[in-house]
Amino acid sequence: MPSACRIVANPSTVFREELDDWALLFNPDTGAVYGLNPVGAFIRKNMDGRHSVRDFADLVTEHFEDVSPEVEKEVSAFVEELVEKGFAEYRES
Amino acid sequence: MPRVMRTPRTIEIDITNRCNLRCEYCYHFSSEGDVASDLPTDEWLAFFDELGRSSVMEVTLGGGEPFVREDITELIDGIVRNRMRYSVLSNGTLITEDQAAFLAGTRRCNHIQVSIDGSAPEVHESCRGAGTFRRAVHAIEVLQAHGVPVAVRVTVHHRNVRDLPNIARFLLDDLGLPSFSTNAASYLGLCRDHSAGIALTVEDRVLAMTTLESLNERYGGRIQAAAGPLAEVRMWREMVRKTAEGSAMGDCAGGCLSSCGGVFSKLAVRADGVYIPCTLLPGTVLGRITVDDLADLWSNHPELERLRTRQTLPLAGFEECGGCDYIPYCRGGCPGLSYTLTGSPYRPSPDACLRRFLRESGLGPGSFLAGNGVTP
Ligand code: SF4
Repeated sequence: MPSACRIVANPSTVFREELDDWALLFNPDTGAVYGLNPVGAFIRKNMDGRHSVRDFADLVTEHFEDVSPEVEKEVSAFVEELVEKGFAEYRES
Repeated sequence: MPRVMRTPRTIEIDITNRCNLRCEYCYHFSSEGDVASDLPTDEWLAFFDELGRSSVMEVTLGGGEPFVREDITELIDGIVRNRMRYSVLSNGTLITEDQAAFLAGTRRCNHIQVSIDGSAPEVHESCRGAGTFRRAVHAIEVLQAHGVPVAVRVTVHHRNVRDLPNIARFLLDDLGLPSFSTNAASYLGLCRDHSAGIALTVEDRVLAMTTLESLNERYGGRIQAAAGPLAEVRMWREMVRKTAEGSAMGDCAGGCLSSCGGVFSKLAVRADGVYIPCTLLPGTVLGRITVDDLADLWSNHPELERLRTRQTLPLAGFEECGGCDYIPYCRGGCPGLSYTLTGSPYRPSPDACLRRFLRESGLGPGSFLAGNGVTP
């Protein structure tokens, strides 16, 4: 998927913020539960249909310390996984 | 200690106080959860909206018998609309073809639990009343036909303990269920009044353990248990083995009242809308739905905080555990049963006491470890 593509969270899934900035994603249609670390939770919170993988990588670099130089690749893999599991969708820009 | 979730993951609701049956060992009736009235539809629906806003993931509907509520489909629609999944605990006698089709259509049903206590009417109905067996079995068949997940629960008691091999054959071979779960009639609710004829004697308990273990082996692990004889025999064998070896208990925190982790992820509600920590602690009033804020009550109620720190109470501090070799491996049992048996949830449950069981059964630890109890 081109990294300029916007990503939007699937509104029929549940995003549960837990303590220490961790979070759970829950798909009530399948019962699937997916744990998110603080970086994943931060990205999920910004899946409003206005941000691309590249934007997420920039936001992560701004907000977190010691970010890997491979951040865009890692964010892309994470987003792809959420899309595959039905927690998010790509939106053509 | 486990971490407390930000809001409960699961809410267990007595959606009604009514039931068409009066099973002799029912934990609900005559307990402090046996309340005067049910809440109207609107109030439950408003509560489900709050659960949705609080990101609760699943709801378990029990009672009473949930299917006596004429508005049961409307209530389940409210759960589904709020992005939750649900389970229903039922005696099975009121489930119709139309309801099974409705449940299938929601695509959010974790399972409908139907109670079956015998392989034939005379055993099942010995505690549940005439005509209940065929209707419960019919419900299972109708649910299966519609592809609704069915979980069968067998409550082991004095009158069905010798029928366990037939029950396993009936449920797993004849009905083709993937598995079933077991527990035991416990000293709760109505069972307290009929305990003498229903509760497992110590001989029954040994027989149930031996029988369920061997059946589970024969059926490739298709018999489950979170409580009752099969769960006990597994846990107690482990405790006896670890004590003999003097080895660590692994990931289970022994030596404290740590057996119940429910208060870290679950909350319950009585049929009158009162928040309680668990359906087995219905007298511990925490607040009221739609009046008290769920997230605030969950994070700040002093009684919930106290129940969570129960996990840190050392068994060595209880007189009844004095000198017990099993202390490092024991976790003290269910707080709900502790409460009905001792008057406090902050004590070990006598029902879960391995030392007491060995003394009463006359089994030595070596004999218990080797499975030399009673031959079924
Ligand atoms: S006396 Fe019973 S409850 Fe107490 S530690 Fe020993 S086995 Fe556990």
